[in-house]
Amino acid sequence: MAEPLLDAAAITIRFGGLVALNEVDLQVAASGITGLIGPNGAGKTTLFNVITGLLEPSSGTVRYDGQDINRWSPPRRGRAGIARTFQRLDLFVGMSVRDNLRAAYEANVPGGVLGRRSREGVELVDALIERLDMKDIADRRAGTLSTGLGRMVELGRALSTRPRLLLLDEPSSGLDVGETEHFRDLLLEITRSEFLGRPAPAVLLVEHDVQLVMEVCQQITVLEFGQRIAHGTPQAVRSDPAVVAAYLGESAA
Amino acid sequence: MLTYIVLGLFAGACYALASLGIVLTYRTTGFFNFAYGGEAMFLAFVFWQLRDRWGISQWLSIPLLLLVIAPILGLILEAVFRTMASRTADVQIVVALGTLAFFTSFVPIVFGSQQHQLESVFSPTWSFKIGDTFITATQLGTVVVALVAGAMLWALLRFTQFGTATRAVVDNRDLTGLIGINATRVGQGAWIIATMFAAVAGVMLSISNNLVIYVVPFLVIYCFAAAVLGRLTSLPLAFIGAFALGVIDNVLQKYGSHGFLAKLEASTPYLALFILLVAYGKRLVEVRSSLRTVTGAHVIGSNTARNVAAGLGAAVVGAIVLPPVFSDPTVLNLAQAMAYAVVALTVVVLTGWTGQISIAQMSFAGIGAFTAAHIAGTHGGMFPVAVLVGILIAVPVSLLIGIPSLRLSGLFLALATFAFALVMDKLVFGSDSISGGITGLNLTAAKLGPLDFESANSQFYLCGTVLVVAALGAVWLRQGPIGRRLQMVRDAPDAAATLGASLTLTKLAVFAGCAALASVGGALLAVTQSTVVPVNFDSSTSLALLLAVVLGGRSLIVGAVFAGGVQLMQLLPLGTNVHKYLPLGIALSVIMVAREPDGLPRVGLQQLQYCKAVLYRRNLVDRLRLSSTSGRATVGSNG
Repeated sequence: MAEPLLDAAAITIRFGGLVALNEVDLQVAASGITGLIGPNGAGKTTLFNVITGLLEPSSGTVRYDGQDINRWSPPRRGRAGIARTFQRLDLFVGMSVRDNLRAAYEANVPGGVLGRRSREGVELVDALIERLDMKDIADRRAGTLSTGLGRMVELGRALSTRPRLLLLDEPSSGLDVGETEHFRDLLLEITRSEFLGRPAPAVLLVEHDVQLVMEVCQQITVLEFGQRIAHGTPQAVRSDPAVVAAYLGESAA
Repeated sequence: MLTYIVLGLFAGACYALASLGIVLTYRTTGFFNFAYGGEAMFLAFVFWQLRDRWGISQWLSIPLLLLVIAPILGLILEAVFRTMASRTADVQIVVALGTLAFFTSFVPIVFGSQQHQLESVFSPTWSFKIGDTFITATQLGTVVVALVAGAMLWALLRFTQFGTATRAVVDNRDLTGLIGINATRVGQGAWIIATMFAAVAGVMLSISNNLVIYVVPFLVIYCFAAAVLGRLTSLPLAFIGAFALGVIDNVLQKYGSHGFLAKLEASTPYLALFILLVAYGKRLVEVRSSLRTVTGAHVIGSNTARNVAAGLGAAVVGAIVLPPVFSDPTVLNLAQAMAYAVVALTVVVLTGWTGQISIAQMSFAGIGAFTAAHIAGTHGGMFPVAVLVGILIAVPVSLLIGIPSLRLSGLFLALATFAFALVMDKLVFGSDSISGGITGLNLTAAKLGPLDFESANSQFYLCGTVLVVAALGAVWLRQGPIGRRLQMVRDAPDAAATLGASLTLTKLAVFAGCAALASVGGALLAVTQSTVVPVNFDSSTSLALLLAVVLGGRSLIVGAVFAGGVQLMQLLPLGTNVHKYLPLGIALSVIMVAREPDGLPRVGLQQLQYCKAVLYRRNLVDRLRLSSTSGRATVGSNG
């Protein structure tokens, strides 16, 4: 693999006596979709928190775009192009959907909070709302939306920072079959080559829907109990005995 | 030297007991009890009532106080605070401050506002001598009581089932229910013990001064400092820290009987608290239930175009009608109320829009007021220059407080601003060269070019214009990117941070901006009061201002106007009863409406809706559901 965009090496997280992540390695390529799967409690969201800077690792380093970002604050990482969604919806519930996206844009653009480059922001937000089919809900308050729509707003909000690396935390949980299909098409569209006039972001996808992950990802990393037990292409992971035993065995049967 | 150390141990013993009480409830219930000093004062007065006024034997009144009255009070407070357990930190702090205000306004009403002698519970004549130092029975007794009580608490937590349960609750509040420990019972136990300690500390502090005193609520800042030394969770550290503070304080007294050192000595606890906040930094973590707190999907400051237009209309009509109708003194009072509302506006932005609690807004106003009095009054300079200099002083000072505490959670800003307000009271406003002492400074005719603000009408228009401009400015900022930034930081801080918004910078900018506006409001107050005295800018006025805004609706511009109205009521000659009961009424109402960001207006609208629904026999259930989910009053539509 060429130089990865994100390279997390030997990440360890301890909460008191509990080891949530144990020397986990993870690479995300500069384009395409990388999958991160594992049973509940495997440490996927914890790893997201480490990458976005919400959690400081007990040991290990996170490199992004060739730089050691271990000591960077979450906002600095956000401004450097890392954006994420939250598994447990964390929307700006008191704002309209449109304002959720605008606020995210303004947070990411230097001087955005003082109104710099706001016209560009309005255009970007309008384009995103159009693209994500959110016209009907654009003026509704985010706190009043269903989980499915909320996930779309989370995605739109992350995209309105025009990220280079997009971390999606279980974006399809709580969606019905139709919504999931729609989401998969959207995901492929976002990552194809160019999105809204910019190079498409690389995606790190945490997902419970193994079918979906196998379909869309080029590379997959599997966690179990805070350990990386496998990584590689979908084919390689699918046939990995450790993975079959630990995780896929149950759902593939 | 020994004398001072003994005195210090004696004072430290009282603080140590109180610190244990504060830390115990904070650890077990996550609720920081700002009202602790109020409780201590109230219970000391109760003791005075029992023993000295009713003449009940000491040996009966002490057990009555400790074993009956204190536990009942503890249970009542626990019940009040438990209903707030799932609320955000700002609501909890507001409720605690409301409770403090309740005690400080309730006690004078019940027990009279004059001071009373309170003799020691120990033998007044017995004493012994070490070296040249006499040690009285009271001093020895207090230290012994503190040590015994500390040891008993330690044993209780170490060897009993209650202690085990407490430790379980401290470790993980949410899981204790699963293993059959009732966290509520543990909380009740902690409150009972803490209140008993408050009773002992209150009585001891009072007998050490020979009278039941009104300063107890502020003396407990010593305990806050000690509690922070124990990072709010360590009982032994808090206990030892309180003794140490008492000794340091008294040893400083030896060297500084007058001059700057004396003032420094008077500010040790606040400075200590502040230094500790800086030194501990991020290691200070709030004890919070991991249960998600109720933030609510409240749209902060629903300042619709219609409301703004209505407000502006009212302002214009007021400007035309009021000055000719009322006499000069009333117009002056109106002007002063509006200046007060300008300061209150900063509370709306800080507390209502960003969820931060500052108990120092009147201190910033004081900076503006005394700067204005010096430059525009004593030295006859231009008023705008004075205002500008005030801002230039207020902003760096706010950064000095904000930078160490805003990295931390809301509780610590409340503590830091409380400490700051008290330091300002003692060190700055208490200094004759700055504030002119208790007689204050004069500012009779502030000049603006060829104009001056001597007449009542000119002051009225000055304050009115600034208030309207500031309010419109706040509303305008609220609609734009800055408003979105405030809302995002409040609604989902983690998400906001990962998207690139720096929480600390945002909060710091708001805090500094509010300090600047508060100092402008203070300069206006200086103009309207013409004699600028320190007592109008002390920590208790900051507290009163905060509570008035909470009541009027802390997320609404109207809340600031309401606070101005409260100030007006205190200025107008409405009879002593109004002035006596108004603070009590505000304190009690605040405790009740604290969870409602729109305060009284919101509660009023809900009642109105309810009445309308009943009157029109519309579908009541639908109506109520509508009002609770729409987040906006629907009165008038569909009527």
